Amino acid sequence: MELFGIFFAAFLINNILLIRFIALCSFFGVSTKIDTSIGMSFAVIFVMTISSAVSWVVYHFILSPFHIEFLRTASFILTIAALVQLEELYLKKMIPNLYRAMGIYLPLITTNCAILAVAFLAIDYRYDFGQSMIYSIGVSCGYSLAIILFAYVRERMALAPIPKWFQGYPIAFITAALMSLAFLGFSNMFGL
Amino acid sequence: MIILISILVLGVFGFVFASLLALAADYFKTEEDPRIATILAILPGANCGACGVGGCRDFADKVVKGEIAVSGCVVGGEEVAKKVAAIMGVEGEEIHKKVAAVHCGAKKDQRKLKANYSGMQTCLGANIVDGGGLVCGYGCLGYGDCFCVCPFDAIKMKEGLPVIDPKKCTSCRKCIAACPRKIISLRPYDFPVVVACSSHDKGAVVRKICPVGCIACLICEKQVPEVFKVVDNLADMDYTKSGINCDPAIEKCPTKCILKV
Repeated sequence: MELFGIFFAAFLINNILLIRFIALCSFFGVSTKIDTSIGMSFAVIFVMTISSAVSWVVYHFILSPFHIEFLRTASFILTIAALVQLEELYLKKMIPNLYRAMGIYLPLITTNCAILAVAFLAIDYRYDFGQSMIYSIGVSCGYSLAIILFAYVRERMALAPIPKWFQGYPIAFITAALMSLAFLGFSNMFGL
Repeated sequence: MIILISILVLGVFGFVFASLLALAADYFKTEEDPRIATILAILPGANCGACGVGGCRDFADKVVKGEIAVSGCVVGGEEVAKKVAAIMGVEGEEIHKKVAAVHCGAKKDQRKLKANYSGMQTCLGANIVDGGGLVCGYGCLGYGDCFCVCPFDAIKMKEGLPVIDPKKCTSCRKCIAACPRKIISLRPYDFPVVVACSSHDKGAVVRKICPVGCIACLICEKQVPEVFKVVDNLADMDYTKSGINCDPAIEKCPTKCILKV
């Protein structure tokens, strides 16, 4: 039940895109088509889970024992960047179809703030390893949900008669704000 | 002390990851045909899909595997085909450049309307709602769906009609697919004559609703029988007969619907 609470809170109640407003660049950048948003979602789920596992290990077994927690930003960035490169090489060789599907999104995610944020938050919440894994899966699923829903809305908006001065990003921001308001409805659900 | 430890830890981090990456790069080396990258560099890179596969990378992949012809890239045309053929070590077959042609000549103020359409301002939308109020059931609707999809900026809308720039057109067929009335087709680049009408209505009907429509009077067929033939109330052209002078037909056409472009 506690793990479910962590997942649910990360998935809907504290949705990383619509409530926390982290990783908005990719939210607006790759949500113009459903296909690309789905590709991005899978890449985020994949990278976020692995990178938060590795950064948890780095923090608790290397940084904490030496009392150099202040280095976590630098070391996490280093770890995640190297990790994504490794994953890319591995996928290219072993699962070329998956590599083709994730394509350019994998290196893009290296610099995605959501990945770093999840690694930090899992440590700030003092989660143990299992909890932080569930947390990162919850966050990445929440990311996918928000970006895919948003892509559906934007595809329909492409055909809507929008006034000229609202076309493009302005109406996208308004839509995102309305979606964010809708997600506020989940707050305090189950007392989380 | 703490400074030393942090320098050491980060240094070790960097070193470990660097050696891991170096090892992995060697271990997971993918043996990709180097020709794929070379061909990819030559291709236009528009990922338009006109060759029939999903994007330029797939095209390069398929060319190397021999599943698609070296001249398959219609956008790149002869130039790219020659270079690709050189890489693959085969003779590139001749390909003739083609460009899009619009088979309607009725400008906005020449179109007869039976109703005012105020729905979705696209050809697709207007076509669904009984042709957007147009009396002619074949002609251009003028909302510029072809103009919007053209990835090469080769279509301009002029007085409600798409005008194609043959120099920029790469015959990628996007406009052909986008036009709900199917009035765009490809013609050879070196045969700049177009029948600017798509109406299969009888001559008397066309005469009432459009000043520049084909009335199937057969004059063009009499003037230049090698090229023109009236089929189903509409002049049709045989584009394989390039080099034949079509001027007599163009001059004699009573509604001036055969155009030199």
